[in-house]
Amino acid sequence: MDFMLSPEHQALRRLIRDFAETEVAPVAADLDREHRVPHEIMRKLGQIGLLGVCFPQEYGGMGAGEIGYCILMEELGRVCTSTATNVGAHIGIGAMVIYLDGREEQKQKYLIPLARGEKIAAFGLTEPNAGSDAANVHTRAVREGDSYILDGGKVFITNGGYADVITVMAATDPSLGAHGGITAFIVETDWPGFSVAREEDKMGIHGTSTAELVFEELRVPQENVLGKVGEGFIPFMKSLDMGRLTLGAAGLGGAEAALDWAVRWAKTRKQCGVELAHKQSVQWMIANMATEIEALRSLIYRVGWMVDTGQPFTQLAAMCKLYGSEVASRAIDMALQIHGGLGLSRDFPIERFFRDARIAEIFEGTNEIQRIVIASDIFRQHGVRIRP
Amino acid sequence: MKIAVILGRVLNPAGIVVNRRRGRIFVNREEYVMQPADRCALEAALQIKDGSEAEVIALPRDLLPGDAVGSADVLRRALSMGADRAVNFTGRASDVDDAGMTHVLAAAVERLGGVDLVLTGATTWDTGQSQLGPRLAEVLDWPQVVDAWAVRVIDDRAEVVCQILSSPVRGDRGGGSGYSIFEVDLPAVVTVHPGALKSRYPDGVRLINVYRDDGVVEQWDVAEMVDTGNLVPLLEKRGQDFPPQRERGVQLEGTPQEMAKALAGELKKRIG
Amino acid sequence: MGDSYLDLLMAQQEETPTEEIAAEGGGGIWVVADIIDGAVAPVTLEALGAARTLADALGAYVYVVLLGNGVADLVQILYQAGADAVRVADDASLAEFALEPYLQVLSDLFQTDQPEVVIFGATYLGSQLAARLAQASGGGLVERVVAVSLDEATRTVQASVPIYGGEYFEIVACPDARPQCLTIEPGAFPVPFLDAYRTGEPALLEVAPVEPRVRWVGAAEGFEPPDVPLSRAPVIVAAGRQVDDFALVERLAARLGGRVAGDRGVRDAGWIEAGRVIDVRGVEVAPEMYVAVGVRGDTFHNAAIEKARFIAAIHPDPDAPIFQVADLCIEADPKDVLSALLEALQ
Repeated sequence: MDFMLSPEHQALRRLIRDFAETEVAPVAADLDREHRVPHEIMRKLGQIGLLGVCFPQEYGGMGAGEIGYCILMEELGRVCTSTATNVGAHIGIGAMVIYLDGREEQKQKYLIPLARGEKIAAFGLTEPNAGSDAANVHTRAVREGDSYILDGGKVFITNGGYADVITVMAATDPSLGAHGGITAFIVETDWPGFSVAREEDKMGIHGTSTAELVFEELRVPQENVLGKVGEGFIPFMKSLDMGRLTLGAAGLGGAEAALDWAVRWAKTRKQCGVELAHKQSVQWMIANMATEIEALRSLIYRVGWMVDTGQPFTQLAAMCKLYGSEVASRAIDMALQIHGGLGLSRDFPIERFFRDARIAEIFEGTNEIQRIVIASDIFRQHGVRIRP
Repeated sequence: MKIAVILGRVLNPAGIVVNRRRGRIFVNREEYVMQPADRCALEAALQIKDGSEAEVIALPRDLLPGDAVGSADVLRRALSMGADRAVNFTGRASDVDDAGMTHVLAAAVERLGGVDLVLTGATTWDTGQSQLGPRLAEVLDWPQVVDAWAVRVIDDRAEVVCQILSSPVRGDRGGGSGYSIFEVDLPAVVTVHPGALKSRYPDGVRLINVYRDDGVVEQWDVAEMVDTGNLVPLLEKRGQDFPPQRERGVQLEGTPQEMAKALAGELKKRIG
Repeated sequence: MGDSYLDLLMAQQEETPTEEIAAEGGGGIWVVADIIDGAVAPVTLEALGAARTLADALGAYVYVVLLGNGVADLVQILYQAGADAVRVADDASLAEFALEPYLQVLSDLFQTDQPEVVIFGATYLGSQLAARLAQASGGGLVERVVAVSLDEATRTVQASVPIYGGEYFEIVACPDARPQCLTIEPGAFPVPFLDAYRTGEPALLEVAPVEPRVRWVGAAEGFEPPDVPLSRAPVIVAAGRQVDDFALVERLAARLGGRVAGDRGVRDAGWIEAGRVIDVRGVEVAPEMYVAVGVRGDTFHNAAIEKARFIAAIHPDPDAPIFQVADLCIEADPKDVLSALLEALQ
């Protein structure tokens, strides 16, 4: 077993780390303070080709696979959760769903500019009544001639305020529900009938756009149906599956950053004549953080390898998201504790990471849903079908 | 036009800890990076290529044993940033110093044929040596401009900006800041000041493809290029010396005027 | 008026041999002189000091080459600093440094005289000449040397070279190839005692006209070098709350070629913006030189300057924590020191 990253992935990591430290880290605090989306950074990432890191080169991507995408999310997560979230929503769910289930013409028309970073994507699933109960969408899509008319809205859509292309889930036949009644549509945000109603004012990830979208007689041509009519639920679920892994990778990045600061602070800060590093309670916290980070890192990259080699990964991806979000929260919390009162100071990045980390346990499938996915898969393997 | 860029690797000092008291060097993390001045030289070459039909060929500054990743990685990085070709020199078991490397590089430039400009870093980060570029210019019998801040190619000339801070003649030439433009006929050797240019990021797709392709760096056998007898190093390393432990808390005595003068002396010594 | 006893004693000392050495030819410790602003550069005198030490141990003579235009009155100081013989190339074509004219004189000279050791200043002129001459003559070159010792058995100079700017030093020697060339770092070697009684007659060299291959075009109007972030600036002058006149701090930074920064106190006072606060909560720096003017130096500030190579601190309170991390401590009020400091730096 060779656990080393391949030369191209090592080179990729160096590139992204360099970029993250030079371009992202200096502005991360400003993005948070000013509640500003990092358009400049997204543009530069696109220019290098990183906004298509996992997509094949024939579709404008880099061809670095899921492992490459994990590296991107980890390195960005280390410096700025907001930036990682923007990127994750664009690649991991927004463009991914077109890659997984789009027709060739759709890939040519949409995936290539998205992979090149010329356009930004978002994923329109959540509604006021459809969170974990994703199939309960009320946005209606009615067939009219050679197009569909969408009416309804979405909430909490990351990148929704500025995306160019949003894949929207709408109910074509409300009576059928998840099985046969939901269709996925590729919507261009400059079409009449699409509007952004408002932006959420959140506790954390202030550098992201979390938008409420409104569709009013939004006409979508039938060529923009993604997958089969009535079977829209499937591409969405597949995309969320993949997205889980990389969300765990972003959590890994955040946890690593927390460990770094905790160690540096413990080295520097003196109380009662010695540095904190000599206090056992601090040592144990550091050791716990480091151990969980190693375990998470092994999990993430092994699952990345499984995705890249075509092996089944649903249960493991759910574990990545579950464990990744929780490890990040724990590590950041411990780092905050080690910093003491200074941990709350806005001058230190810890409190920003603390606020930013919480959402990871909720979006892209709450951790409760992840546990259901994991347990269902385990019992299924033993012949028991869990009743939802 | 053809531009040859000579790129070297250096151990990142962030991974090294020097214990002055015990006179020992601990390498915690063996990480090699491109010499910062060489990286600027590469950027200068790529900027010239951006504006014209130039071909940029990357050559290594060091001769390393066959399986050492170091040199080849620096060359691959150059390719991922936009260099057209990269050539590594193989077939030599031990290190060669600047004098020997000059012969190999001169032979390489001849073998490439039609090289108009050789760019390399003005100084090495670790050893502070600047001799490779000028030595190569001497062997090729080309003119040289050292420590450049900017390089431009116009027809068959290069225009180079250098900072001349002191001059034999009283008064300076470059206005307040000392930056002057010099002109030299090609072919020429130009060495680039570290930090003169901000390096570009490699192109992502190029990066992945370069690192996946085992054969992307050309291999030239040193024995076919020069008489390996010429490669015997002229210099010999005879050990290390460690500066004394930092003497902190040295109090200056006297009136504020006297202390100011003493401080001025110390500061002047250090800014050179 | 009669000479003093000392004058008579000195006059009895042997005249420094001049042409006799030239006739013997061969070997010797040579120094290639640098001229800055119409005077012999300090680094040349330092080189002479080092050359003298080596020559005395090796039983060799010290020769100096001086190139320039109208440099006749610069010769005596070279003898006073220890030269046994001086060769002068005085010509209009050598007024400003140009590689090819200088190289022509030196390479002809070295071919005839076959030096054993050649010392140059590690200057714009010196480093270029050293490298090309070493290559042309087959000699070895060690650059930016800060100390030398001698392996007398093999007549080999052992030179100390700073690594990573001085983290440690590597000792390098050129055991076989001759000449052994060195460029020395300005300020590293002591300036020798100038013996006013040492005099001599220089030998004038023929200067053949050579066209320089690099031409000066003009000043680079408006050329701006790329920005260096504060965290990587090599020289930083930081102001603290004890500073009276912030403009003096800015002048000090300009004079030292450094950047202005400060602690949180001056940020709160509005003298600097947040991006220039030296603090673990602000910017961490690792300059070659850090001058803290009126900065008290709390833990968070001091941790941010941990990696600075040299720290000088000025503060009126002897108990200020900054003095625990500073290399050089000046217990005084900044307003008493700053103007005098600026004057002394002129």
